[in-house]
Amino acid sequence: MHIPMLGEVSIELIRLVLGLVLLAAFVGGNGVVLVWLERKVAGHIQRRPGPFEVGPHGLLQTLADAAKMVGKQLVTPAGADKLLFWLAPLLAFLPVFVLFLPISWGEGIFVLETNLGLVLILAFAGINVVAVMVGGWASNNKYGVLGAARAVAQSVAYEIPLLLSVLAISFMTGSLDLNRIVELQGNWPWQWNVLVQPVAFVIYFICGLAETNRAPFDLPEGESELTAGFHTEYSGMGFGLFMLAEYANMLVVCGVASILFLGGWKGPFLPGPWWLLAKMYALMALIMWCRWTFPRVRFDQLLNFNWKWLIPITLANLFLTAVLVKVF
Amino acid sequence: MEFLAKAAFVFYVLVIAGGSLAAALSHNMVRALLGLILTMFGVAGMYMLLNAPFVALMQVLVYVGAVAVLVFFAIMLTRTPTGGEESQPNPSRKYLLALLTAMLPGAALGWVWLKHPVLSDVTPVQAPMEALGQGLMEPYILAFELISVVLFVAMSGAVILAFRKRGS
Repeated sequence: MHIPMLGEVSIELIRLVLGLVLLAAFVGGNGVVLVWLERKVAGHIQRRPGPFEVGPHGLLQTLADAAKMVGKQLVTPAGADKLLFWLAPLLAFLPVFVLFLPISWGEGIFVLETNLGLVLILAFAGINVVAVMVGGWASNNKYGVLGAARAVAQSVAYEIPLLLSVLAISFMTGSLDLNRIVELQGNWPWQWNVLVQPVAFVIYFICGLAETNRAPFDLPEGESELTAGFHTEYSGMGFGLFMLAEYANMLVVCGVASILFLGGWKGPFLPGPWWLLAKMYALMALIMWCRWTFPRVRFDQLLNFNWKWLIPITLANLFLTAVLVKVF
Repeated sequence: MEFLAKAAFVFYVLVIAGGSLAAALSHNMVRALLGLILTMFGVAGMYMLLNAPFVALMQVLVYVGAVAVLVFFAIMLTRTPTGGEESQPNPSRKYLLALLTAMLPGAALGWVWLKHPVLSDVTPVQAPMEALGQGLMEPYILAFELISVVLFVAMSGAVILAFRKRGS
């Protein structure tokens, strides 16, 4: 029987705390950089002059944005459930760190070693929905409640094809361990899972857009018809935390997509972490590009698309995968 | 290590008890739901303590990620005005009855425990996932299939109810 000594426990603990601090820095830094990048993408694609005004080529824009956000007064709307209203942004932001724990950044570089990494990410990703609906409900605002209702309907619907497409990879590799899934793929692009499971990859990407409430599926926010949806009433950092959580969730979606389908940290020449980051950022750029090119879908279109197309296709894909895995 | 395990056990018991008290006592449906979610997290922690991380994560995935969200949807669809029935104070007779109802299963469990005390392992063995899958497919297949039949009946019932509403 193996009983860990106190020293062993504390080394694991130090590793976890250090990892969490690094992850917090990573999430915060990325929030700043990604907001800036997104405004640039928007500026270039839609010819918006705004993002180029502050500083050389708009370099100081994010700094100005951040200063404005931090400086704003925190207002609780009259008649709102005060406890739940301020609990919601925290509930949206804190589980994000759990999502990053099992991601393997390179050979032997990860915060938490677990053979259930995929389940861990999928389980804690669901808490974001709870946060959005609590925030929308506690605002005591019609638009907030409508946004929350949409968020619930959307995420319950899109979680099913997301899980099913991920399951296809897990059938193929026989593992839920992210490290193991990366190790089973090769260094070169034609050895990655995306070639064997292109349908699963496309559907995972679409569902990832919907799960992180990104355009063209940003209906919980829907600023043209719901003012700002579930975060209508949030000011300053209350909104800021929701936004940081959204960017962190996008990073997790892109990271998991790179690990499952694009070979994770494997690449022909450079060391591992650079490859993972490159793949993540390429997918992030794709997500932003989608936002500024596609028009928003209508809500009934969104649900019809999911229940009538995505779920049957993923089920067929999963069935085919199971048969092929059994045969070979 | 054993002290740590006991401390974790006490912590999870407090989380479960606090969550369930919040669920039972709050005058607001959404707060009650959050109490329920807290209880589910506590139960997930208990599974972790039993060295069953897969079951714990499934608890979070299914109950917090899906069931709680659906309960929230139901609350919003049947949204009562803020001065609804659940915000009125209950008569003390109700509290007494609730206490009695809670004590019945507690007493039964306590009696069994006193009669046949269970020796707990110091460090429980983690069951590999292959064993879980084989258990569901081989010795417990009947229970597994029965559960899916129950779920299927619930789902088709919901669909039928929804169709009737739309037709009338």
